[in-house]
Amino acid sequence: MKIAYNYAFFDEGSKREIRRATLKAIAIPGYQVPFASREMPIARGWGTGGLQLTLSLIGKSDVLKVIDQGSDESVNAVSIKRLIQATTDVAITDETKEATLLQSRHRIPEVPLQENQILVLQVPIPEPLRWIEASEYATKRLHADREYSGAWLMLFEQIMKHGHISTGADHPVEINDRYVMAPSPIPRFDNPKLHMSKALILLGAGREKKIYAVPPYTKVVSLAFEDYPFEPEDFSDKVCRLCGSKGVYMDELVDEAGIAYYQCNDASYCLQALNQSDKQTEVMG
Amino acid sequence: MGLDMVHDIQRAYRKLLAAMSKPGAIEKISNEAAKVDMDIHFYPATLILMLMLLDSEVSFHIVGEEQQMITSLIHQLTYSSHSPLEEADYIFVLSGAKEAEGQKAIKAAKEGNLVDPHASATLIFEVEELSKSNGLMMKGPGIEERDCIGVAVFENWVEEREMRNSQYPMGIDIILVDRASRIVGLPRTTQLSRGVV
Repeated sequence: MKIAYNYAFFDEGSKREIRRATLKAIAIPGYQVPFASREMPIARGWGTGGLQLTLSLIGKSDVLKVIDQGSDESVNAVSIKRLIQATTDVAITDETKEATLLQSRHRIPEVPLQENQILVLQVPIPEPLRWIEASEYATKRLHADREYSGAWLMLFEQIMKHGHISTGADHPVEINDRYVMAPSPIPRFDNPKLHMSKALILLGAGREKKIYAVPPYTKVVSLAFEDYPFEPEDFSDKVCRLCGSKGVYMDELVDEAGIAYYQCNDASYCLQALNQSDKQTEVMG
Repeated sequence: MGLDMVHDIQRAYRKLLAAMSKPGAIEKISNEAAKVDMDIHFYPATLILMLMLLDSEVSFHIVGEEQQMITSLIHQLTYSSHSPLEEADYIFVLSGAKEAEGQKAIKAAKEGNLVDPHASATLIFEVEELSKSNGLMMKGPGIEERDCIGVAVFENWVEEREMRNSQYPMGIDIILVDRASRIVGLPRTTQLSRGVV
């Protein structure tokens, strides 16, 4: 393969800087390590943090999967895959269990991750206290003092206003009994997957220039109150219209008659389930 | 040098990443270390880590015999600047270092502050052998329940390290490298204790 760029787009100096920040991030789970955040050929806010992490990690033997809101084929996921492939020529897969490196926007795949995998999450706003405090100077000091009243107050106000905690995604978590962390806009449904995860999870925010990490086998607790416990979205009574799966994260869609129906959000999981059931029907004849 | 500065360093980085995220796991960078064909008076695996981590943006400090010669070599290879023990980002305690020097390195290394806990030192210790036997007990993130590691750095290093890491999130991170290019990561979150495993 002949390419005009260095392997994995970056010069080695840029990779070194990201790698150093990543190692620190693992040593201090949930702490947002500042990094230089290079200019990328995609706009900031479109996954440049995740992309930079992926490029600093990737090597010839990797198998890459990129998803955007559960889909392997959305524009963002495809563009990122094309850029990475054009500068590395690594193998690409849709199947979660085959990937060694997974970059994701807003979902943790349904198929449980394994120890030999690394999940990279794209983060728009890494600071869980940003809604309460606009100043980075101030939020850094709140983290230093472990002063998280703001995060609790946010949840309390939601209960006052709506009668329940109304975080749609990005529900704050406390990691390793120390830092309150934004898990990136994954649905609450995915929060429990962070706790004692087998795979290393790295989070990158390109615009905000932060890298942080959830090491494997690390305690992650979603913030909640004793009388208002943490509740993931409940899909227990919903069935995927395409593959018939239950107990996974669903998209709600509305057909032309105005009736709601449900479909797996994780497209590759859905496809896999469909293929599986096809095989079974064939065997049964 | 037969060492590929892009791909060999990338492979070694992934091993180090695995070592840091799972402190109980012993990783090996011997394939990469074997490609070092320079006449250096320290472990080739240590050189791999230097090439991986050091450049003009960070500082380093060498502890051990032939300190001056090695310092100037590393500066020439990486453009990283040498700085006093108290200020260095990366401190390499080589196998020839005396116990007191190793002790001093752990005592003097910077630990960051509460606002910027990442502004702390990473110490790389060259040790004889890393194994799974006669272990120190390990607990903390990256370890499912508990694990163990067999290593001799110097007397009291476990206690000295614990003292430096007592004010988490401030603290020091350690990478252990042995003669056979095995590596173990000890982030500040890992609790070590002597005793029955």
